[in-house]
Amino acid sequence: MSGMDTRVAGGVGASALRPDGTLKVTGEFAYSSDLWLDDMVWGVTLRSPHPSARIRSIDVTPALAMPGVLCALTHEDVPGLKFHGLDHPDTPVLAIDRVRYQGEPVALVAADHPERARRAAAAIVVDYEVTEAVTDPWRAAFDPSCPKVQEGGNVLRHQPVRVGSVFEAPVVVTGEYEVGMQDQAPLGPESGLAVPAEDGGVDLFVATQWLHVDRDQIAPCLGLPPEKVRMTLAGVGGAFGAREDLSMQIHACMLALRTGRPVKIVYGREESFFGHVHRHPARMRYEHGATEDGRLVYVKAEILLDGGAYRSSSPAVVGNAASLGAGPYEVPNVAIDAYGVYTNNPPCGAMRGFGAVQACFAYESQMDKLAEACGISPVEVRVRNAVSQGSRLITGQVIDSPAPLAEMLRELEAFPLPEEPAAGGRDLRALPGGVAQTTHGEGVRRGVGYGVGIKNICFSEGFDDFSTARVRVELAGGEPHVLVHTAAAEVGQGLVTVQAQIARTELGIDRVTVAPADTRVGSAGSSSASRQSYVTGGAVKAACEAVRARLDKLAEENPGLTLPELLERSGPVEETREYRHRPTYPMDPVTGQGDSHTQLALCVHRAVVDVDVELGLVKVVELAAVQDVGRVLNPLALEGQIHGGTAQGLGLALMEEIQVVDGRVRNPSFTDYLIPTILDMPPMRVSILENADPAAPYGLRGAGEPPTLSSTPAIAAAVRAATGRPLPRVPIRPQDIALPA
Amino acid sequence: MRSFSYLSAPDVETALRVIADGEGVKFLGGGTNLVDLMREGIERPATVVDITRLPLTGIEELPGGGVRVGALVRNSRLAADLLIRTRYPVLAQAVLHGASAQLRNMATVGGNLLQRTRCLYFYDGAAACNKRAPGSGCDAIGGFSRGGAILGASEHCVAAHPSDMAVALAMLDAVVEVESVRGVRRIPIADFHRLPGDTPHIETALAADELITAVELPPVPVAANSRYRKVRDRASYAFALVSVAAALNVEDGVVTEARLALGGVGTKPWRATEAERALLGAPATEDAFRRAAEAELAAAVAGPQNAFKIELARRTIVATLRRLLTEGSAA
Ligand SMILES: Cc1cc2nc3c(=O)[nH]c(=O)nc-3n(C[C@H](O)[C@H](O)[C@H](O)COP(=O)(O)OP(=O)(O)OC[C@H]3O[C@@H](n4cnc5c(N)ncnc54)[C@H](O)[C@@H]3O)c2cc1C
Ligand code: SF4
Repeated sequence: MSGMDTRVAGGVGASALRPDGTLKVTGEFAYSSDLWLDDMVWGVTLRSPHPSARIRSIDVTPALAMPGVLCALTHEDVPGLKFHGLDHPDTPVLAIDRVRYQGEPVALVAADHPERARRAAAAIVVDYEVTEAVTDPWRAAFDPSCPKVQEGGNVLRHQPVRVGSVFEAPVVVTGEYEVGMQDQAPLGPESGLAVPAEDGGVDLFVATQWLHVDRDQIAPCLGLPPEKVRMTLAGVGGAFGAREDLSMQIHACMLALRTGRPVKIVYGREESFFGHVHRHPARMRYEHGATEDGRLVYVKAEILLDGGAYRSSSPAVVGNAASLGAGPYEVPNVAIDAYGVYTNNPPCGAMRGFGAVQACFAYESQMDKLAEACGISPVEVRVRNAVSQGSRLITGQVIDSPAPLAEMLRELEAFPLPEEPAAGGRDLRALPGGVAQTTHGEGVRRGVGYGVGIKNICFSEGFDDFSTARVRVELAGGEPHVLVHTAAAEVGQGLVTVQAQIARTELGIDRVTVAPADTRVGSAGSSSASRQSYVTGGAVKAACEAVRARLDKLAEENPGLTLPELLERSGPVEETREYRHRPTYPMDPVTGQGDSHTQLALCVHRAVVDVDVELGLVKVVELAAVQDVGRVLNPLALEGQIHGGTAQGLGLALMEEIQVVDGRVRNPSFTDYLIPTILDMPPMRVSILENADPAAPYGLRGAGEPPTLSSTPAIAAAVRAATGRPLPRVPIRPQDIALPA
Repeated sequence: MRSFSYLSAPDVETALRVIADGEGVKFLGGGTNLVDLMREGIERPATVVDITRLPLTGIEELPGGGVRVGALVRNSRLAADLLIRTRYPVLAQAVLHGASAQLRNMATVGGNLLQRTRCLYFYDGAAACNKRAPGSGCDAIGGFSRGGAILGASEHCVAAHPSDMAVALAMLDAVVEVESVRGVRRIPIADFHRLPGDTPHIETALAADELITAVELPPVPVAANSRYRKVRDRASYAFALVSVAAALNVEDGVVTEARLALGGVGTKPWRATEAERALLGAPATEDAFRRAAEAELAAAVAGPQNAFKIELARRTIVATLRRLLTEGSAA
């Protein structure tokens, strides 16, 4: 067609500039916490100080008597359904007759100033009768005398996987492993602005990961039809799963509808730790049986995930832990039991890697044990058991696209190792303890470790997973211009950039605007499960193709006209398309069998660490990764995802843990919850493979999560290699290395 | 945050008068600790007097070889000062190992001395804490106490003192100069911070109406060969699990002078006098260093979560002395 050059700059495959990049770097990007209207008031949440208590009464009158207070609300003021939930509405909008975790929302206040609102909230009198808190997930699951956190019992899902019947082998290795509670630690706290509308509805501007799933939980609680809850994505300061469940959304809307004023809620840093779910802490018992030459005969495992007080996305997390619980290896006999349990600990749910992270630490630790027992190298044991295209997962599902794990491991192994510097004259920043002078090289031992991870991309187990895109081509200033409109949440991953790249490539028009994400267009699904390039990318591509088909037809009917001339004649050309990936199916509740995933992604890591064995300090010297992404859409953004995911895995390996004691969070601050700094994160060596998945748009494979999986076990293995310690738990702390109990 | 009135003091006299006359008056240095605590509702001053305009920002050499540091010298300037770096390398290093560059640019010498503990229960308004709410009890004992002190604790409080700078000052026998409408006092650093005893809420010898005006460093020739070593959970920007400030003089293989102070392990910046005694006259050997560390740590008491600190402190002391012996104070 005339005027359409599909090789336009800034298309698929280019490191197109992020439209939000400069603003973010210069501090001018408007995050949801920056939202402002002149007549707005402030909402504040009163939370439970107890992990478990009955509520005898709530008296808000002292709050109402305070200056500047507009209203104080409790569960009685929830206009509609009193519960919400991602998977099932089990979470009270405001606590009714009991609280099940420390930090559970109990009451709301709106006032003309945030401090006045806070003081008023503190003045609310809640009469609690403290009850026994269930904090041991093992007891919650298996001790019949344990109190029930939820009426249906404490096991929220038990997913077995059963394959074969041979559970004897010449070589057997066993281990018990633990993963601490990690936090997503997004820098932007939960925040948003709810504006009451004349039609009795509400407009909500909020940082979230999925506008429509929020709306579909908010509207019933407000007693409004969904179309009266209009949502617009506000600037998101990171998500990583923390924004999948609702936080302040319904609360702000309730206050706005009650006061008739715009209401802003912004959590502080401490409140943020109570305002979102965390990664499930896990206890895992594994037994691997193999032949003398290290070929797996069987895997037995018990994986216990502490889901905390409410359901959130725990059932799907359990599904992933079960179906991916043996890793990307061919295993003929399997007996895995994954459990998600309710306790009075903080609720856990989605976090980057979603259920695949915990098991990965355990099965990779087991593979290293197996290598040692068989006298072969860690790479060799993994290569001998590696899946490839055509392999069956333990769920019976056949991997029907490239999965070159053995090749990836060989490539990783062939990377030159960083040189071990000679003693003396070393840059302190390159040593354990950094510039704190803990060592100048003496007592430092180097270790190398490998980790492999497999992650499902997109939603699994029969979920109707789709996205919607509206694409419009029109003349602007005499030139063709594309407007892409989806509800997909840009959470920092670069999705806005990729949508524009796809439109440029598909339509050959370089002037592309991506409209703000809102609910005036159909659902895009969640910005999670590494799925947006795939599913929303697929929808944008499909809508572009439909627009292009119409433009082609127009061109045929009007030979000789340029694109601007055609558009002049036709007016704007707009198409909306939904895109679905191939269907998935539930896991059999008894055997775990079923084609539960649509796409699988692999990443492998090699970690090189220097450990000051005397003081237990670890310096990660280098992290190398090989990842197969099917097709690179934006090289720079992709590398950013791999570096970031790797860093989050490093955090879990060495420092990140929410300390929960008797159901109470003890370190809700960035002074006490440590995340890696630039000095902790080493340079990376990354190799990206492009073995296309024919089922996916452009052959791409979701890329955001896999690196988070494999970096943790690689680092743990490297520290073990350096120290000879078993280190069955992450995060590994100095005392675990230097001074085990 | 509670509302409060704010006043910027133009001179020392005004600052002293306001605090002498008012109730609930607090000085504001860099604000890096006070503002945090106000936000959490732990400090609730009625009036905040900004003292950053006061002319207490000098670093001056004293006759006789000492150095006088104004209370409002920012931490980053202190660490960069040539006089400090050559005469008291341990102090420059200690300051540099604290917090982050941005915080050090704000933090002042006076504020650093008065920074409050990082005990997790102290920050949690719902927890029992004798330091925050005298008589309420101590949830850290028997709770999550990984950060707790192993030296100087009482049954009323086990919180560790968080400052790095103050550990170096303890080693150097610094003198804190304070002033009020009643006059000037000079408080030796050893007496400045108090053990918790049964009044953990009283942390220093500073009276409620006193302003820290300066810190005086006496001449300490051995400090030219001194260093600071800090063990923490990540490579930067974390409080000490254990830290050691040390200075050593060795002649003919025998220790002729030794100074040692510990951070992260004591309820106050901990001068390790037992270890110093054991070192004096001992051969400068690994064995003697270990014996000295053990002499100091004999009194250590720990719970299950911070028991590791005893061994970690021993190892850090030995490693610091070893390094001083072989490499001197070079960073
Ligand atoms: C995230 C974080 C990490 C940190 N990490 C470390 C670390 O690793 N090591 C470390 O040592 N420290 C660390 N710190 C603490 C930091 O060093 C202190 O907050 C800082 O030194 C306090 O100095 P300031 O001037 O800001 O004090 P302010 O906050 O201004 O004041 C603190 C207290 O001192 C009083 N005050 C201040 N000046 C005077 C004066 N002249 N006379 C009388 N009273 C006065 C104030 O009234 C207040 O009570 C960290 C702090 C943060 C926030
Ligand atoms: S150790 Fe001290 S500061 Fe911590 S809770 Fe106990 S009394 Fe409070």
